[in-house]
Amino acid sequence: MKKASMTRRLFLLSTGAAATGLIVGCSTAAAKGGGYSSIAGAFEPNSFIQITPDNQVIFYLPSSEMGQGILDGLTTLIAEELRVQPGAIDVRHASLHEDYKNPEMGMQATGGSNATRAQFLPLRQAAADTAAAIRNAAAKQLDQPLDKIALADGQVIVEDKSYGFGDFVAVAALMPVPENSPLRSPKQFDQIGRERPRLDALSKSTGSAEFGIDAEVENLYRAVVVRSPVLGATLLGFDASAALKRSGVVDVVQIKSGVAVVAQSYWQARQAAAALELNWEKTELASWSSDSIYNKFNETLNDSSQKGLECCDEGEGDKLLDQSATVVAADYYAPYLAHATMEPLNCTVEINGDACAIYLGTQNIQASAGAAVYYGDFDADKVKVHPAFLGGGFGRRGLGDDVAEAVLIAQQTGRNIQLVWSREDDMSNDFYRPAALVRMQAGVSEQGLIETWAVRRVGPNIMGYMLDEWVDALAPDYLNKRFVDWLSKLGRPIFNRFIADPSAGDGIYSDYDTPNKAVRHVTQDPGLRTGFWRSVGHSSNAFFKESFIDELAQSAGIDELQFRLANMKNNPRLTEATQLVAAKAGWGKPLPEGHFHGLATHSSFGSAVAEIAEVSIEGTQIIVHKVTAAIHCGMVVNPGIVRDQIEGGIVYGLTAALHGEITLVDGVIQQSNFHDYPILRMADAPEVEVHIVASQEHPEGVGEPGLPPLAPAVANAVFKASGQRLRDLPLRLS
Amino acid sequence: MISFQLNNSSVQVDIDPDTPLLWVVRDHFKLKGSKFGCGMGLCGACTMHVNGEAVRSCTLPISAVQGAAITSIEGLGTPDNLHPLQQAWVEYSVPQCGYCQSGQLMAASALLAKNPNPSDDDIEMAMNGNICRCGTYSKIKLAIKSGAEAMRAQGNVVEIFDPVMANKEAS
Repeated sequence: MKKASMTRRLFLLSTGAAATGLIVGCSTAAAKGGGYSSIAGAFEPNSFIQITPDNQVIFYLPSSEMGQGILDGLTTLIAEELRVQPGAIDVRHASLHEDYKNPEMGMQATGGSNATRAQFLPLRQAAADTAAAIRNAAAKQLDQPLDKIALADGQVIVEDKSYGFGDFVAVAALMPVPENSPLRSPKQFDQIGRERPRLDALSKSTGSAEFGIDAEVENLYRAVVVRSPVLGATLLGFDASAALKRSGVVDVVQIKSGVAVVAQSYWQARQAAAALELNWEKTELASWSSDSIYNKFNETLNDSSQKGLECCDEGEGDKLLDQSATVVAADYYAPYLAHATMEPLNCTVEINGDACAIYLGTQNIQASAGAAVYYGDFDADKVKVHPAFLGGGFGRRGLGDDVAEAVLIAQQTGRNIQLVWSREDDMSNDFYRPAALVRMQAGVSEQGLIETWAVRRVGPNIMGYMLDEWVDALAPDYLNKRFVDWLSKLGRPIFNRFIADPSAGDGIYSDYDTPNKAVRHVTQDPGLRTGFWRSVGHSSNAFFKESFIDELAQSAGIDELQFRLANMKNNPRLTEATQLVAAKAGWGKPLPEGHFHGLATHSSFGSAVAEIAEVSIEGTQIIVHKVTAAIHCGMVVNPGIVRDQIEGGIVYGLTAALHGEITLVDGVIQQSNFHDYPILRMADAPEVEVHIVASQEHPEGVGEPGLPPLAPAVANAVFKASGQRLRDLPLRLS
Repeated sequence: MISFQLNNSSVQVDIDPDTPLLWVVRDHFKLKGSKFGCGMGLCGACTMHVNGEAVRSCTLPISAVQGAAITSIEGLGTPDNLHPLQQAWVEYSVPQCGYCQSGQLMAASALLAKNPNPSDDDIEMAMNGNICRCGTYSKIKLAIKSGAEAMRAQGNVVEIFDPVMANKEAS
């Protein structure tokens, strides 16, 4: 195919249109898009796509890339409908704008494994409409019937000639952008579903990918904060005289969470911070240690006068429990956990008069900007967020606590600053995955069908702590601040007393066909703040549910796979995943001497995952040799990324299953760095094999669903290998 | 004043001598590819080559690198001229969040410089100091093997850094 030379007529037409486009273009850009800065002469049909006269296609990525592959996935959707190679698209992180709100959440945030599901149709529609606009413009400009104009591989093709998209952007900018243009059918897909190297692999393999911590602005000082050893305590006083004498130190200021040391370099600030003397108030959390927390949970679990809140009540609830042929009961425990993202929290702030620019990787750009508005007293339209890649998110990034500290330091010192948390700061100032103690009870019929499922759960909630952060950051700025702060504190009492926190019940009663269910949650909270941790409630609830299912099957004398399949007749997705994993792993077939299989199956974030762990025991050491997984997640955008996410969830889950535990003594977190909060390393990482159930259904989540079944699959294998039923996490053989 | 080679350029820096190499490279020389992860040499995100050895730069004081040859990820290869390991990292889509990968690549390239055909055990031994929270270990292993194979096929001569020879050449 030859490249068309521009005829004189075409030249006149396009330059004429470009000239007009400059005038009209601004208003159309503002009306149709507005999420990004206009580029002169570019076609700007919406806030997601810009096409420049020199054929550059720019896509503004509305979700945060934290490793889950959403940059690749969403760019693929644009490429599919716009008929451009994904690698030819210039992808940029979208800044804060109404148009980039996640359609399911109503917030510009990334979490809950929903980014592909929520944006699968809207983004394809935006790209399909853009493609239609380019075709319309080409038809008009070339004076050809529309059906003669095709798009392929970033080119406009008219019979034997091809043109760049850029040749038509000026005319396209003057024409109405079509709406509801037909989307390509799955049969036509040549990008969606195709496996190829992920688009961000190159920048992340050359050190050139920019993370929040890599931000540089003019006259940048570095800041560190010393916070209370017991979270949430108020500072009574401090002595900065020694710290101020240290080399490079320029300021020491008090902020809401502690005392900040600002210096020319991070190292100077960090060294000087050690010389600060601080005096903290004693808080209620200081009266709690891990043992006393566990004992309190246990006391509450056994105190039937504390009814707690209802998570689920179906059929006859737990009334018929004793009438079943077999009744089984067992208590399970899961500890607090830290996120330990590889990139410690950080935030860079540049203040110019009444304007504030913040640089960071965040899962919630709206809350990050809101924190600057709330704590820095800036007008909302004067805060500009410069988003970067996230060095891991897992639910930790985007609460606004990093931004609040950084903005306060910058304001009080009048300097541009970069706040960097140490690993120790990160470990001891997290929003932890809540601990829980759970009593599981079930009645099983003689035929091996679960008749009654009863759960009583004790532990802290998450939502109250999240609201405390988010209400401040997301409330409209015309509201009085003290009112907003009061409002933000209402979350805890509401979720403690009136409404069951959704995460308490997540996944603990679903998946199986049980006619009678009663799940109640009693709030018992020592005051350690909690948060969303990869897969949230499912992270512990799947361990309770799936370990207990094995106990039921074994009590009934039925194979664990057959028991599950018989009790999930109304769960076709999980059934397919379970059958697939059983076939692939060879469930029931002989294994090497001393190796044992454990199975767990769990649905979360719209997807169904089944995992089989192959485990052996050496002394008291648990060795996980291999994990085979099958996922039903609907249609797949890039199979390689789906497999990587499931494997990633398994490795993250195995760290938690074998090692993960945050403990307290007198309210002080005992873990500080990777020596006492160990992370799974290469030598201990199992072989992982992931199988995907072929499906044309709407895509569902993959970032989190791989994690929940891992711990119970391992625990179930450990039981087979050792005869020990481990009901507490992390798994430890005695 | 401390002088050393950074990615084959002679550099000098006047800075508190206990400042770790990592922060000098990141904040003084503005090479941001090497990452801060733990500050205790426990995670490997900061790994650089010091005279060809993989070293945790977050705990190495700058005073200790006087006269040494330092290579950071920026000196390993560039998008236009990738090291065979970087090529393999892209082909296998190793990175997820990507934050640890500079350190992983520096640890892996130091291994291959000494051992062009590492076994699984060799790889695990050399890479066990590098944490990846996203769980890319199996891909790292595959990419190291593929990169090693490519290097052997290209007949890459293994250059073993000899500080004695280097000093002789320099003087």
